[in-house]
Amino acid sequence: MNWLYDSVEPRVMDEDLLKLAVGEQGPRDEAGQLARQEGILFKDVLSLRLDFQNILRIDSLWQFENLRKLQLDNNIIEKIEGLERLVHLVWLDLSFNNIEAIEGLDTLVNLEDLSLFNNRISKIDSLDALVKLQVLSLGNNEISHMMNIIYLRRFKDLRTLSLSGNPIAEEEDYKMFICAYLPDLVYLDFRRIDDHMKELAEIKHQYGIDELKQRENLSQAQLDDERAQREELEEHKAAFVERLNGSFLFDSMYAEDVEGNKLAHLPGVSELLQAYKDKFVIICLNIFEYGLKQQEMRKVELDTFNECVQEAIQENREQGKRRIAKFEEAHLLSLNAIRDESEVTNLEMKVAEHSKDITELFDMLMTLEMQLVEQLEETINTFERNIMDLVALFIENVQSLMAQCRDLENHHHEKLLEISINTLEKILKGELDEDLPYDVRALFVDKDTIVNAVGTSHDLHLLKIDNREDELVTRTNSWCSHLVDAIHKDEIMRNRRRVKEIHQYVDHVQNELDNLECSEIID
Amino acid sequence: MEVLKEKVEEEEEAEREEAAVRAERGEKVVRPMEVRREEAPMTQEMLRDLERKLSDTEMAIPEKLSTFTKDTIAISKLPLSYQSNTLKEEHLLQVADSFSRQYSHLCPDRVPLFLHPLNECEVPKFVSTTIRPTLMPYPELYNWDSCAQFVSDFLSMVPLPDPLKPPSHLYSPTTVLKYQEGNCFDFSTLLCSMLLGAGYDAYCVNGYGSQDMCQMDLTRDVCPLTVKHQEVVQEEEKVPPKKYAIKPPRDLTSRFQQEQETKKQEEIKAEEERRLREEEERLLDVEKAKTDPLHGLRVHSWVLVLSGKREVPESFFIDPFTAHSYSTQDDHFLGIESLWNHKNYWVNMQDCWNCCKDLVFDLGDPVRWEYLLLGTEKSHLSLTEEEEDGLNDDDDVENLGKEDEDKSFDMPPSWVEQIEISPEAFETRCPNGKKVIQYKRAKLEKWAPYLNSNGLVCRLTTYEDLECTKTLEIKEWFQNREDMLELKHIDKSTGLNVDYFKPGHPQALRVHSYKSMQPETDRIMEFYDRARVDGLVKREETSKTMTEYYRGRSDFLFYRHVSFGDRVKKLSLNSAESNPRPIVKITERFARNPEQPADEDVAERVFLISEERIQLRYHCRDDHITASKREFLRRSEADNKGNKIVMTPDMCISFEVEPMEHTKKLLYQYEAMMKLKNEEKLSRHQAWESELEVLEILKLREEEEEEHRLTISIYDTKRNEKSKEYREAMGSPQADPPPPPPPPPPPPRRVMHEEHLRQVEAPLDYLAPFLAQLPPSEKMTRWQAMRVKDECLSDIKQRLIDKANLIQARFEKETQELQKKQQWYQENQVTLTVEDEDLYLSYCSQAMFRIRILEQRLNRHKELAPLKYLALEEKLYKDPRLVEFMKVFV
Repeated sequence: MNWLYDSVEPRVMDEDLLKLAVGEQGPRDEAGQLARQEGILFKDVLSLRLDFQNILRIDSLWQFENLRKLQLDNNIIEKIEGLERLVHLVWLDLSFNNIEAIEGLDTLVNLEDLSLFNNRISKIDSLDALVKLQVLSLGNNEISHMMNIIYLRRFKDLRTLSLSGNPIAEEEDYKMFICAYLPDLVYLDFRRIDDHMKELAEIKHQYGIDELKQRENLSQAQLDDERAQREELEEHKAAFVERLNGSFLFDSMYAEDVEGNKLAHLPGVSELLQAYKDKFVIICLNIFEYGLKQQEMRKVELDTFNECVQEAIQENREQGKRRIAKFEEAHLLSLNAIRDESEVTNLEMKVAEHSKDITELFDMLMTLEMQLVEQLEETINTFERNIMDLVALFIENVQSLMAQCRDLENHHHEKLLEISINTLEKILKGELDEDLPYDVRALFVDKDTIVNAVGTSHDLHLLKIDNREDELVTRTNSWCSHLVDAIHKDEIMRNRRRVKEIHQYVDHVQNELDNLECSEIID
Repeated sequence: MEVLKEKVEEEEEAEREEAAVRAERGEKVVRPMEVRREEAPMTQEMLRDLERKLSDTEMAIPEKLSTFTKDTIAISKLPLSYQSNTLKEEHLLQVADSFSRQYSHLCPDRVPLFLHPLNECEVPKFVSTTIRPTLMPYPELYNWDSCAQFVSDFLSMVPLPDPLKPPSHLYSPTTVLKYQEGNCFDFSTLLCSMLLGAGYDAYCVNGYGSQDMCQMDLTRDVCPLTVKHQEVVQEEEKVPPKKYAIKPPRDLTSRFQQEQETKKQEEIKAEEERRLREEEERLLDVEKAKTDPLHGLRVHSWVLVLSGKREVPESFFIDPFTAHSYSTQDDHFLGIESLWNHKNYWVNMQDCWNCCKDLVFDLGDPVRWEYLLLGTEKSHLSLTEEEEDGLNDDDDVENLGKEDEDKSFDMPPSWVEQIEISPEAFETRCPNGKKVIQYKRAKLEKWAPYLNSNGLVCRLTTYEDLECTKTLEIKEWFQNREDMLELKHIDKSTGLNVDYFKPGHPQALRVHSYKSMQPETDRIMEFYDRARVDGLVKREETSKTMTEYYRGRSDFLFYRHVSFGDRVKKLSLNSAESNPRPIVKITERFARNPEQPADEDVAERVFLISEERIQLRYHCRDDHITASKREFLRRSEADNKGNKIVMTPDMCISFEVEPMEHTKKLLYQYEAMMKLKNEEKLSRHQAWESELEVLEILKLREEEEEEHRLTISIYDTKRNEKSKEYREAMGSPQADPPPPPPPPPPPPRRVMHEEHLRQVEAPLDYLAPFLAQLPPSEKMTRWQAMRVKDECLSDIKQRLIDKANLIQARFEKETQELQKKQQWYQENQVTLTVEDEDLYLSYCSQAMFRIRILEQRLNRHKELAPLKYLALEEKLYKDPRLVEFMKVFV
């Protein structure tokens, strides 16, 4: 540590420093004059240079929202921080500082060029977010382990890398290793990698690379699988029938059912249970398929609706545009005419005429808009009715299927009860052949106990079924109401925007006319 | 020959008998109705004619109208098969004769059959054997239409010697091809040979045609090239209304009024239509031909193509003269006597009262078609085969009992040599490479490629009137032009010329329509935009504006309109060459750039240069109906304190759909304005360059029109070889000239010219002017000789000095001018426009070039002058006229 300016007081990055820098680096000459007149907002700055400022701590940069390029080289920064808000940053220079670890770059997803030259970094990591990285400069650091290179394989766009001046650069295999493991790299340590070198490196490290690739492929495949599954589940959720394409519901019924599981040990119950499960699952599958089909129908319905509405809006927009274009022509002409007119009476007449035109245009545009609103309202109401009907039908059918489930459960319950009572009788009579586990046998103390146990199990099952049904119904209904609400809201927003636009335009036109009048009168 | 004579005698007898029978029976004719009355004398006359002809075969060659008569054909050079008949052919002739006899016996009222006319060697040959099916080695001749077109182009038409009778001679297709002319029978025989070779089921037909057709008179036909393609209007598919389609707004207009309106419209329309129809009828009346007294009697021969082979869906006729195809129901074809191909001969037994409209071309039906040879297979077209077969047998027994013995008899192979068309002849096509066809209100001229030096291959002149006096428009087609000119269309009524180019013009020109080649007049140039870097599609010009359309540009520009003002008369010296018109206004339109938000994507920008204003209109957002606008006034004034005002809020008037924070800032506006200023400069430069380009294209076009060089394919060995020789010969004009006459001047004409001058100069007598001063016819004294010599030498000295001075003077002048110009530039550098700057730079480089050349010349002259002087002196010493005096002197 023999920094020349060790004795110099570190500077604080405060408003004044930044203002000064912005002012210096801002526009020059005439534009600069204007800029000074108006002042420059930090958020309009695209590029900022803060080198040789003896900055110790990065601070106060949060206002530079749109910054693209930031130079902080040749300071005494020790920690990367305070850059979280600069999400548009493309170019970041932190060379010649005292940084020890790479951190705080997780939000800079647009970064393409990163320079950390001449720091004290010993490990390459925490760069995962920088998916667009193309140039990475890490020379004159303290990176000593070759495995750091493998970390860089994830940057598909990385083309330029510099690592000279690190301990690893001393290793004899250094170049070959990098060429082999980063085949897309074009420049290493400011030199172009020739193809011959690449081939050699590839041959030399073939085994290592193959193994690595294999592992990478495997993990990639796993990731893909997971994603696909997630997507599928999402899709099913959209149809409100997730996890009904199997025995999930049935299993969940028995998952918390202690008594039921115990009773399964009774003779004859396992067969009964199996049959029950099969039937139950078939019904679940029915619900599932029906749900998907209904979802498809709803989607088609929605698509048609959207398409039609868009068409109508487009058509209306075209009409409006045509009117405005026509008006604009006339507008220009009459403005010119008014400008050229010298006679006061004529002038007034023309102005009045033109104002009338403007009002007419306004009326016309508003009529168009009102017409569209009426038309859309009708269509939306039709759609609302239809989609409500669809949803109601869906719920009704699902409920009837669920009722079948409940019937099955009831049936199963009766059977189970019968078997239980029989078993109880047998036990009481001491005729039971099989050995029952102790906890099961504990149930068969008297009739009330066993009936209670079976009843608890039954109630639990019914509850599960009811819950599932309720969930489905509520979600479906809420989806429907949300959809309808959103459509209404969108339409209202659209209408307001259009009305505002028309007003704005007409005001503008009227203003133009008024200004003209004013100047005429002044003249 | 004896056999032949016998046969002829037999035939003669038969004819006589027939005539007698006919005379007895009176005229009961199975002929077209309309001619029945006229037929009697005709037939008689014909018969007599025939008799006379047959009585002495030796001399009976009626004079052909053709230019190539018997004596022009070198008979002796023809192969043996042309000069004699083989045994089989003799046999066939006998069969044919007996067939003919029976036929005339059975059908006494019909004209004799056209069976075995004489060939060019006066040998009778059966018509079927004259057909030689040949597939031509040219892929262009694989389809019937191109074959027919070729035949009609290649041969020139000679009318029949007697329009009411088939010719007495039928030459072989090879001879016809060689002399490139023939009558309709020659035409159809050749065409039939080619079509059969190409796999069509084709037949030669001997029948009766309309006058127009027989005389190849197309003046009542509309030229096929003038017929405009009617665009097929595709009916739009009606999209079924969607479930949620919005309902249209209620229609509040009166339905009654609408109805009244439509009624009125319809009435007007009907009236209009009626008028049009009347007009048309009137025109038709005018055009209608005079009735032909010989209608239905004119003999014609054409080709019938039956359906079945080569995917021909329906049988049709081809008129070999015009190469047009007609349906078998066409009005031009009035009757069929017989038809034949290379295998058999059929006689039509159907009644032709209704022209050919009712004829059934089912050649397997012996009731309708009487065949000559049984042996040749002819598939029955009709479905009721067995029944027909039964009838067939009956007919055989009844009518042609004798023919049983001939059942196994096949048509002998053709006596004609292989038909060959040389590539040159194929390319030249028309006789002498030129053909003129007169259509109704149009004249079509065709030339072989490379025949015209400007590449003209076809010209269609359309006339306003039937008499073809008032030209309406001219269309000229070109081929093999180096400037890729394809079609030139001159509209005489509007004076509009339109040139069409194929891809490959150096300026990527596609269409050029203009009224005059003067710049700054109305013209439209269209380009192949893919071949151009700037993607220019079209440039329209009027005297005051220029509009350009672009496609596929990376800056999304698709339209630029430039208005020019009146040319300011500049009297200054420095820009004497080009005085561009001042630009008043430039309008540019851009397509939407999807990468930019609509509010920042300029849709239209207008530079009002004279008013110093710039107007911008932005694109409309997807869900908006209004677009942002901005207008810059670029007035740079000084405020009252004398400071220059950089930017004030009133210099930029803007309307924004959604007002934004940053656009209100003066800085933003200033930067935008600066950028626009630059762009304005660029646009002006563009406009100026476009103007230059127009000038350049016009110049190029003029040059091309003058030179009209033709391209020659590298595969075209014949022409290319020539040009190679030509070029080689040009390359070394001095080195031993080749045996053929010396080549015309080589391309670097200036060099040649100088050479020429030198050659002329060489024999010049340099002493002549001095000798002329001496008194004539007197012997020269030594003193005089000396004086002559001295004068001559001093003269050359003077001339050399003069020349040096001249070069020096020019050099100085150029240098001075350049300096002046440079000085001017230094002074005015700031105020110069881009154009002026460019002009200046180009001037500078040219001036520098001239100065350098002058300098070189001067140096060279200095070097050469003494040498020249010495050379002349030496020459004078050796001059024969002076030598004696000199010798003495020396």
